[in-house]
Amino acid sequence: MSVISRKKKVRTPAEEETSLNMVEHKSVVDHIADVIIYVIVALIAFVCVIPMWHVLMISLSDGRAAMAYEGLAWKWIGNFNLGGYELIFQDSSIISGYANTLIYTIGATAIGFILSAVTGYALSRETKLKTPVSLILMATMLFSGGMVPTYMVIKALGWVGTRWALLIPGCTNAMFMIMMMNAFNSVPKEMYEAARIDGAGHLRTMWQVMLPQAMNLGFVIILNSVVGQWNSWLPASIYVTNKKDLWPLQLWIRQITADSENFLRSSNPDYNRYLIEYAVIVAATLPILLAFPFFQNKLEKGVIAGGVKG
Amino acid sequence: MAKNKAAVLKAPKVTWKQDFRRNWPVYCMFIPAVVFMIVLHFIPMFGIVMAFQNFSISKGYFGSEFVGLKNFVDLFTGDQFPIALRNTICIALLKNTLGFIPPIIFALLLSMIENKRFKRICQTMSYLPNFVAAVVVASLVQEFLDQDGPLTMLLTNVFGLENQNWLANNHIPIFWIIYILMGVWQGIGWGSIMYVAAISTVSGDLHEAAAIDGANRWQRLTKITLPCIMPTIMMMFVLGVGLSFSTGYDSIILLYMPSTYNVADTVYTYTYRTAFGAATNYSLSAASGLFQSVVGTVLLIGSNWISRKTTESSLF
Repeated sequence: MSVISRKKKVRTPAEEETSLNMVEHKSVVDHIADVIIYVIVALIAFVCVIPMWHVLMISLSDGRAAMAYEGLAWKWIGNFNLGGYELIFQDSSIISGYANTLIYTIGATAIGFILSAVTGYALSRETKLKTPVSLILMATMLFSGGMVPTYMVIKALGWVGTRWALLIPGCTNAMFMIMMMNAFNSVPKEMYEAARIDGAGHLRTMWQVMLPQAMNLGFVIILNSVVGQWNSWLPASIYVTNKKDLWPLQLWIRQITADSENFLRSSNPDYNRYLIEYAVIVAATLPILLAFPFFQNKLEKGVIAGGVKG
Repeated sequence: MAKNKAAVLKAPKVTWKQDFRRNWPVYCMFIPAVVFMIVLHFIPMFGIVMAFQNFSISKGYFGSEFVGLKNFVDLFTGDQFPIALRNTICIALLKNTLGFIPPIIFALLLSMIENKRFKRICQTMSYLPNFVAAVVVASLVQEFLDQDGPLTMLLTNVFGLENQNWLANNHIPIFWIIYILMGVWQGIGWGSIMYVAAISTVSGDLHEAAAIDGANRWQRLTKITLPCIMPTIMMMFVLGVGLSFSTGYDSIILLYMPSTYNVADTVYTYTYRTAFGAATNYSLSAASGLFQSVVGTVLLIGSNWISRKTTESSLF
């Protein structure tokens, strides 16, 4: 969450590789220590993924057997069964939750990115407004009015119970704007001057000339925004509680988890209903988890450059 | 040189009017952000007058009765808020001690691994929990700590602890530890990135020289690596303290239940519950929210100041 100035240069992996080993003659103790370190690191990595694995396996299990099962599921319990997934893709509420999540994620990210890019560009130009606007941004980072006064404003705008409450207020923040300012500042001045001399207006200069150069950091902002919006649930629980047709997927997960065992009350329970909770978690989490490794390097750089918490 | 001087001399002479005439398109570009910030962030800041009012929605800000500090007196003499405050302080303390160290240890361990591919795979795996939604993490915790959950089974069968739904346990400090460990699980990989980057800046020459002088791995770790990354550790610690009062409590809303309010309620959840829960009291919630904002801001500015004094790097 910070714009941290770091003086030391980050060594490239190649440099790192040559640094040790040249003078090192490993003793037996060193080898034992090595093994212990490898085991601990592998164990930590393992513990990080095993809960998700467990949920994936239960979601593929036989409902009745999974319900009776206690402990960790290393593989599916009983027969392989996609019944849970069939149920969620027949369930109109989950489909609409999926659609809403997509709308909120894409919409808020797009609106937020345009807003932060325009503001970041304006902040990177030398005008007299730069300082006052920076101060305004700083103030919003330091202090917030809190939940209830914000709710009152959004209520006054007439956004409670509408999609706007989830699209606009959380779409961007002062930190993203300042990160975009840094991105634009890092573009060589000549690019800007050349475009201006050629007669391009500010919008055109920003959009066609500067932005492609600033996209490295811009992409980090977009990724963080997408992950944040996809996983967000609190604003929805405040602003659209009573409108189930506007619920994002996360609220449905919460609801389904809360009454996961209700189906047992019926005289002839469909045990696949036990799997819904797991199937919906997988359906909501898998897209992000599968996409993430492709963007890992960019996201890591974002953490180091801006200290952004994901 | 002369040109520079001229520029320096000229700069203060530009009036707002001239600047506007020259840069009006840029001024226009500021409008959306300024409107956004004023409407959604500044007006709420003035909205906190309701913390000093007996606020009712029908009467609004201007019609509601002004009651001074009565809401704050009610907060601190009530039976829920003091407990929430105590829990917040205890959880924040644990978060900055118990929850702070694992990413550092993980980063140090990673730095000692020579097999590149193994290291990368482990890192990727450890990052995954950071991308799992809070709602999903909460249901994972519920699932694993339920009466027949895998972790409960482990605790019962291997460590001989009483079989129970651990989330329903309202004894200190069970919930706090669950919450901290949940944070560690989510953040151990992602939180280690800063440290891994810092460790990679430590000069390899230092290590070589020490190795030639006969320093073993442990000595190099404690005498070279740790001192070299100490500024980063300090900075992360100080910033962590700055943020620990005000952020990261929303997932408690997903985990607690009325029977565990006495250990799990925090200022944040109290604010949420009093505003949007069953018994609504907007004024009390606004007062509690204001208290949290003020303490959070003081902590942030204070820790930033300390960070600047001690490590030369700061948030702003």
